[in-house]
Amino acid sequence: MSRRTYLIKRVLQAIFSIWIIATILFFLFRMGLPDPTAALITEGLNPEQRAAVRAQFGLDAPLWQQYVLFLTNAVQGEFGTSFSYRAPVSEIVWERLANTMILMLMAIILAYGIGVPLGAWLSWRRGSRTDTAGIFVGLMFRSAPMFWTGMIAILIFGVWLSLMPTSGMRTLPYDADGFWDKVLTLDFLWHAVLPVMIVALYYLGSPLLIMRNTMLEVYGEDFIEMARAKGLRERDILYKHAARNALLPVVTQLAVTIGLAAGGQVVVEVVFSWPGLGREILNAVRTSDFPLAQASFLIMAAFVITLNLLVDILYTTLDPRVSFR
Amino acid sequence: MNLPPFFRAAAGPLKLMVQDRLAVIGLCVLGFIIAMALFAPLIATHDPRHINEIEDGSVLTRGADGWELGESLGPLALNDADHRGADALIVGRGATVWERDGAQWRRVEMPVSTDFNAVAFGPDAGALIVGERGTILSLEGGAWRAIDAPAPADLRGVAWIDASSALIVGAGEEIWRLDLPEGTITEIDSPVGRGFSLRSVARDADGTLLAVGERGLAIRYDPQTGAAVLDRLGSSRDLNHIHVAPGGAALVTGERGTLLRRAGPDANWITDPAPDTRALRAGWIDDNGAAIAVGRNGIVMEWDGAAWQLVPTESERHLRALLIEGENWLALGSDRFVTRTAPPSREHWFGTDHLGRDLFSQNVHGSRIALLVGFLGAALVVLIGTNVGLIAGYYRGRTETVLMRTVDVMYGIPFEPFALILVLLFQPSLLIVILAVSLLTWRTVARLIRSQVLSLRERPFVKAARVAGASDLRIMYLHIFPNVMPLVFLELAIIVGVSIIAEATLSFLGLGPPHAISWGGILHDARLSGAWRTAWWWNLPPGIFIMVTVLSVFFISRSLEVVANPRLRARQ
Repeated sequence: MSRRTYLIKRVLQAIFSIWIIATILFFLFRMGLPDPTAALITEGLNPEQRAAVRAQFGLDAPLWQQYVLFLTNAVQGEFGTSFSYRAPVSEIVWERLANTMILMLMAIILAYGIGVPLGAWLSWRRGSRTDTAGIFVGLMFRSAPMFWTGMIAILIFGVWLSLMPTSGMRTLPYDADGFWDKVLTLDFLWHAVLPVMIVALYYLGSPLLIMRNTMLEVYGEDFIEMARAKGLRERDILYKHAARNALLPVVTQLAVTIGLAAGGQVVVEVVFSWPGLGREILNAVRTSDFPLAQASFLIMAAFVITLNLLVDILYTTLDPRVSFR
Repeated sequence: MNLPPFFRAAAGPLKLMVQDRLAVIGLCVLGFIIAMALFAPLIATHDPRHINEIEDGSVLTRGADGWELGESLGPLALNDADHRGADALIVGRGATVWERDGAQWRRVEMPVSTDFNAVAFGPDAGALIVGERGTILSLEGGAWRAIDAPAPADLRGVAWIDASSALIVGAGEEIWRLDLPEGTITEIDSPVGRGFSLRSVARDADGTLLAVGERGLAIRYDPQTGAAVLDRLGSSRDLNHIHVAPGGAALVTGERGTLLRRAGPDANWITDPAPDTRALRAGWIDDNGAAIAVGRNGIVMEWDGAAWQLVPTESERHLRALLIEGENWLALGSDRFVTRTAPPSREHWFGTDHLGRDLFSQNVHGSRIALLVGFLGAALVVLIGTNVGLIAGYYRGRTETVLMRTVDVMYGIPFEPFALILVLLFQPSLLIVILAVSLLTWRTVARLIRSQVLSLRERPFVKAARVAGASDLRIMYLHIFPNVMPLVFLELAIIVGVSIIAEATLSFLGLGPPHAISWGGILHDARLSGAWRTAWWWNLPPGIFIMVTVLSVFFISRSLEVVANPRLRARQ
């Protein structure tokens, strides 16, 4: 299979996946919420306004027409108006998605930046107390629920020591023009320290353990023997020869992690009041804001699939051994 | 022994696991948690849903910024206090008597063991304590003497008439005149005689005595004539306490925030509007216009000259008495009060939550939901994943394409948000939580098992079985399946951990099984109540339990990995 047909096939697959998820989502919502506008009655909407909302989502038409309307709207990026924000859903969702992604990317970079060299180092000290302690700590943060570690971090750094801000992305009130103006400040970094640290500690375990285990396998290979025979320094063997060859499984894991990053960590966003997409879905779920919940989830899934696709394509370019099956 | 291949395959992993120290620790810890879940009602010290109450001899002192809780005087409620000069006495339940000793309070041993309700110092010497079951004690020359009562009445109030006589009132409308030093008691006829409870009595400025009680009852006793007559204070609520200042200002407190005030000896009784409508148990007033009333749930009200103002107190305690000496103001209590957000103590090992429920018991019971969802969810996941992987790997062709394409689609669905939406649409229940946990997780298992089966199906033993005429099902489940068993066990262990965290996450977000106690749910309550920022004992244990459980499962899975991956075994 040539590279071009592989690419086309992967893109078609991704589109197919998004369509299936959209379909499942549509029918799930119709099953669970036969009349989504019921939530609006409590908000004091008069019958005409309610009828307008019903018309917007085509709620009076037969089910298949609603489904077609939903798909056409989704393709055009038209997701209706949020019940609780009274604003177009797409605007809200894109901003929240960017907030989630910046948190997750910072955490993933931190986790892999620390985890990979640390894993290599642990493999070098294999069998020692440091090795056991490293594995233990890595697994411990992997086992602790993030909402709990987050709460404890807030308790220690926010409440007892009063060192760090514990909620939001910026000190309120602030004004910023656009996303980058908001993010490229010290204030933002200061707010990001705790949530990024918590997510990074959770992610740290997998690069650490994968790197360590692969390194142990690589140590048995002939070329390491060869390097030793040449009389190279142990440190050079570790980082220049062994580590490079042990990187592949870690990169695979990194790709998977980045691919799922848009799904975010709802609980971390909730605990730290980070205005991300996951928290938005939770709020939409709680307030029965069905256009927002539906669109957030669809866009999130589409983003995950697109990221997966990009990572896959990049991966085949980076590693020629991966065949275009 | 001729075991079926199924069991023979399972024996291997177990043998290897016992050799791994970390796995043994993991197995022990997990066994401990499972035992905790099974025997939760026996291990828990309390009913996890029961709202706990505690009795305490609480003392609140008025400081510069409000009333502060001081050191408790014993474990029993304090009911009344009085002072004369430097002497002061506090009495309470269970024959509790505290006597002032310099800056400290000293416990006094009493000849009886009943509950004491009231205390009063005589004008020059002596003191009287009255209590339930006709208890009357008189302080004479430094020693307490019990005086025989004509009936075992529940005596509520006492006030001195003059230096050698006192009036005692009781819950059965008893009005007794006590003459000292002989200790003779004269029963005085009540003008009502319907058995209404009298709760407090005080000596008025004109020398008469005024007793108050149930349904606004007020009875005035005149020592000159020896008769008791009905008085009217203008309230029909239950009255709990009366205090009369030397100059004639008086304050009566009662149920539902009843405050009756009289500015001077000849002034009329005025019903003041109260800022809170809970029961007021004690009041104090002086002739310069200062007044204070205390009651249930730490209510303290002070009169600012124009209106009653609520004063902030930090306590939940029920206040029953006041001891006011110059600048030194004490409020005393407390009968059984709800122990909200109490730190760990011998009674509550992990403290209590905002409703006074025992957190240790909640944590113990929380293991049940965690393990139930953990194991049921994991079993469901492995069941679906293994079968999909087996079928896809074995049959290949179109079946495989359809199944694996489904798995691909599922990889596009983010886990947590999907679980949220599922729970939103179908109402939280145990079933939905287990479904939400397992519906997406089987994708990994299916992929792994399939890749194994793909290589296994080409092995000679499978071909041999096929030639021998074995059916597809037989080959799949009796020949191929035992060979992927180690991998299945490994995945089972990992997914138990994942499921436990997933359940905790849903419960933490308030979407867990309703009315169930779970570790995530405890943390949800802590966050919702807002008290978690101070109550570390509330949010620390559930997280540690989750972490330890999942960690033990991970340790077990690590040794299973050695079983599933022979390359790792060679390395050791």
